[in-house]
Amino acid sequence: MAEKPRLKIPKDAKKGELIEIKTLMPHIMETGQRKDKDGKTIPRKIINTFTCEFNGKSVFSANLDSAVAANPYMQFFAKVEESGTFKFSWTDDDGTVTTAEEKITVG
Amino acid sequence: MIRGGTLASSAAALIAAGAILVVAGSGAQAQRAAPLELKADASVRPWVRYNGWPARDESKWSTLATISSPPAPTAARKIVGQITGDAANGAKLVADRNRGGSCLACHVMGQSGNADLPGNVGPNLSEIGNAGRTDEWLFNYIFDARVYNPDTVMPPWGSHGEFNDQEIKDMAAFLKTMKKPAVFKTELDDPDKRPAPVEKRENLDAIENPGMWALDKAAVLWKTRGSDGFSCNTCHSDPKTAFKTWAASMPKWEPRLNKVLGVEEFVTRHAKVTTGLNWLMETEENRDMSVYLHNLANGAPISVDTTSAESKAAIERGKALANRKIGELNFACTDCHGKSANHWIRGQWLGEPKGQYDHFPTWRTSLQTIWDIRQRFQWCQVNIRADELPPDAKEYGDLELYLASQNDGLKLSVPGIRH
Repeated sequence: MAEKPRLKIPKDAKKGELIEIKTLMPHIMETGQRKDKDGKTIPRKIINTFTCEFNGKSVFSANLDSAVAANPYMQFFAKVEESGTFKFSWTDDDGTVTTAEEKITVG
Repeated sequence: MIRGGTLASSAAALIAAGAILVVAGSGAQAQRAAPLELKADASVRPWVRYNGWPARDESKWSTLATISSPPAPTAARKIVGQITGDAANGAKLVADRNRGGSCLACHVMGQSGNADLPGNVGPNLSEIGNAGRTDEWLFNYIFDARVYNPDTVMPPWGSHGEFNDQEIKDMAAFLKTMKKPAVFKTELDDPDKRPAPVEKRENLDAIENPGMWALDKAAVLWKTRGSDGFSCNTCHSDPKTAFKTWAASMPKWEPRLNKVLGVEEFVTRHAKVTTGLNWLMETEENRDMSVYLHNLANGAPISVDTTSAESKAAIERGKALANRKIGELNFACTDCHGKSANHWIRGQWLGEPKGQYDHFPTWRTSLQTIWDIRQRFQWCQVNIRADELPPDAKEYGDLELYLASQNDGLKLSVPGIRH
């Protein structure tokens, strides 16, 4: 079964507050540099792109490369001015896109 | 409870099977016991050591199941006159980690081996050259310290053939040159000043502890139907309530099998006969289920049966096993986690038995995997150069019950997270 991404975001915040967002995506992050027992290169399979949007607007994104360790962990800050939904996406080398979202109430 | 017409006939058969399985000998309070697979083994046979573990064959030494190591010598070997040894070679040997872990694992020895993270299980030997020990004493203490101290935890390096006579003479010659207090490169290198490790990570936070991911997988397994069409959920549709304290009462004596069952073996045997699912111990499914069932009982104080005659007898056997010297290095559980608890063996902290059970199964960050308590037992043995037993061995059941009884009252917090 596919692993589900892990999120840590406050449920509510004050207008204009700087909130901390933590995300973790379970993934092997196979570098493409390793060889198997028979000397054949194990093909690269990593999460190559991560994005975070809030109410449709881009907040944070990252291009990941081979050196990133398994289970990529992203921690960043965002200023929230209104209630809404954070949407996250992780793109695998094989084209699979895993998404997750989390609502926040700004009062 | 079991519902649905199509399942009715199998369900009736199951209940009938359960009804016969009445706990024998439990007196007036006979209760219907959970159906268990009673014939097959609960783990792979023949047992195959885990991938990546040392492949050494240690079958000539005692294990928790057999006693085969030679008895301790009764007298010291006579050494006439002065030992002739190569002190420079001795200095290399005491720091050689391929020969049983090196002397530095337990002793501070001046600057030898660059003094990186020496342990303090044994005395500081930096000034042993001033102690006025005879050559015969030095030789024999390394060869087999039991001739001077029957309670020693030191491996019998000569008797068990890890070092030959000449190598031991070289080490004795080296010890005679050690006459100055150790100088440590950093404070951390001094085991008497090195702070005890404290686990501060949030073990129940799925971002910090990947062991928590087992819970999602177990939730799927809970509803996975076996060949008979039944899943765990067929009978246990409200696991949160039903298993609120169950794991904290395990392991438990099982009269039908004449052994102590832990959560993991129970899951294997119960799932087999009720659903047909084959979740052998130390498979991913079994570990996920064990994490889940322990997690449901988080916060419940460990409270195993220590009063019934069978449990008392099992705990006594477990205690005897914990004191049995096994393997090439001739250690008992209690050598490290009793006599030498709260000391450093090289850079590893030796804990007391209390606190070694409430967080299992646990995530191992150094290995990126979940270990249950039986795999932890197995690793202890392979690490001290003894052959491990299959995870469902009855000896482990006794040992687990003894360990759990020493952890009585501690609250479960599973999955743990350890390095």
